[in-house]
Amino acid sequence: MTRKNNNFIMRAVVYVGYFMALFPLLVLIIWSFTGIWPWPQLLPETFSLRALDELFGGYSGAIKALISSGLISAVVALLSIVVSLPAARAIVLCDFLGRDLLKFIVLMPVIVPATAFAMGIDVLFMKIGLSDTVLGVILVHIILCLPYTVRIMTEVTEATGDKLEVQARVLGASPLKVFTNITLPIALPGIISSVCMAFIVSFSQYFITLLIGGGTVVTYAMFMFPYIQSGDRTIASAYSVLFLLSTLIVFVFLDRTVKKYYDIGDVFYFN
Amino acid sequence: MSYSRFKPYLMILPVVLVMAIFIIGLINGVLQSFGIIPAAGLTKLTLSYYQEVLNNGDLTASLWLSVYISLATSVIAVVIGVLVSVAATTSGLVKSKFFQILKIPVIVPHTVSALLMLNLFSQSGIVARMAYRMHLIRGQEGFISIMFDKNSIGIILAYLWKEIPFVIMIVVTIMANINSSFGEAAVNLGASKGKVFKHITLPLCLPSITTSFIIIFAYSFGAYEIPYLLGATDPKALPVQAYVEFVYPDIAHRPFAMVLNSLMIIFTVAIAYIYYKILSKNLVKSGMSND
Repeated sequence: MTRKNNNFIMRAVVYVGYFMALFPLLVLIIWSFTGIWPWPQLLPETFSLRALDELFGGYSGAIKALISSGLISAVVALLSIVVSLPAARAIVLCDFLGRDLLKFIVLMPVIVPATAFAMGIDVLFMKIGLSDTVLGVILVHIILCLPYTVRIMTEVTEATGDKLEVQARVLGASPLKVFTNITLPIALPGIISSVCMAFIVSFSQYFITLLIGGGTVVTYAMFMFPYIQSGDRTIASAYSVLFLLSTLIVFVFLDRTVKKYYDIGDVFYFN
Repeated sequence: MSYSRFKPYLMILPVVLVMAIFIIGLINGVLQSFGIIPAAGLTKLTLSYYQEVLNNGDLTASLWLSVYISLATSVIAVVIGVLVSVAATTSGLVKSKFFQILKIPVIVPHTVSALLMLNLFSQSGIVARMAYRMHLIRGQEGFISIMFDKNSIGIILAYLWKEIPFVIMIVVTIMANINSSFGEAAVNLGASKGKVFKHITLPLCLPSITTSFIIIFAYSFGAYEIPYLLGATDPKALPVQAYVEFVYPDIAHRPFAMVLNSLMIIFTVAIAYIYYKILSKNLVKSGMSND
């Protein structure tokens, strides 16, 4: 009897959790199709597609911002991999001076707030002309992605090792061939996961883009911000829904890849 | 594979270059907090900005506000997150496909989380409407304003909506693994379920619980978006105040921003080191559970 009761309570706790996670999102979706929703109605009085027009009508620039934002995040994701792959291999397979220090420093951007280090970087970028440029924004986004991508690639390298590469070299394959025919295919699922993760991290940045980009580099997260602030709930909610859909697609892809190839469920180790 | 002595350094060169920007950013911030801004002709080391900040009631209020927000957020998130993880593990719901939806809040950006809370808890929000319908309040004004309030309840709620699922995601996988492997063995040997949980599962989950606590604490201490969107006008949270000082037209204000940043940097770098230590100690263990 008590065990049954106990199990009932446990299930109830989880169901309450589901509700807490989903209910606010449901309200968000309702708001984005709301025409008039006067107090104290529990449901909107009229519905409207005004937000869809705002998003896709072409005059607001939302889709343009979404595309340019996607491009920036894609470049960030690819560059993060180019930087992380060799580093992860060096960390796992080689012994070098300062290895532990490097591991520590790469981890730091997860904990040290962007607010705190971004202003120092902005001061540096002003000096070397990277402030208010896309390149500058891409560079700081990469800094924020490296903890995730280096970690994923390190785990993948630890799992696969370099035995196959050694064999291929012994059998006479050129370093380039080894890289294209062995290293890349083996690391590919890890690379896909890293790219997705980096994309999501970069796509979601608001503050650091504002600070380094100085308002001249407009990403979707920045484009959306004033609407959330100003109070047109319908438009703000619609922008948010489009944002969530964009990241959700990338995320589902990431989740699938990770589950299919690796037994690591914790790419979220960092927020 | 045999690598030449220099090859590893070549391989880490890109990472080192990118992270050099990060380190220079940190150093720049700390230097400016000591009043060294060559661009403004200031080159003398001084502690006066720190003294001014620490004697300034507004700025210390910001500091304490941020400590309060991040402590409240991380403690509540970890407690509730662990409780839900326990419930999901013991009820077996962790295995259900639907459980995956708890991942959604983790990828929702903080700006949207702020909007969700406004939709719910503002004076015209859905919760106020429900309270009115149930005759708990007489009108909109009867609903206690928890957005933009001095107790930062809105800020904390917006963080919690994201961070509780975050804790669950980190903790529940490990908890479920342990429960099904070690737990069954212990039960077979005659231990009660409660005992198994207290003496085996919880201690083994402790590292992941600690790391989630650290990440949330540091994040909610230093993030800008939510306190900016949902905070009271006065006092402002530390990151918001720092940005106000940074963009102040008079460059002489910048050291104040950098003092606030440096306090954040010193504090969080220390936290990061603890985090790093926990992670590297744990690699062996997580490697085991991955097999």
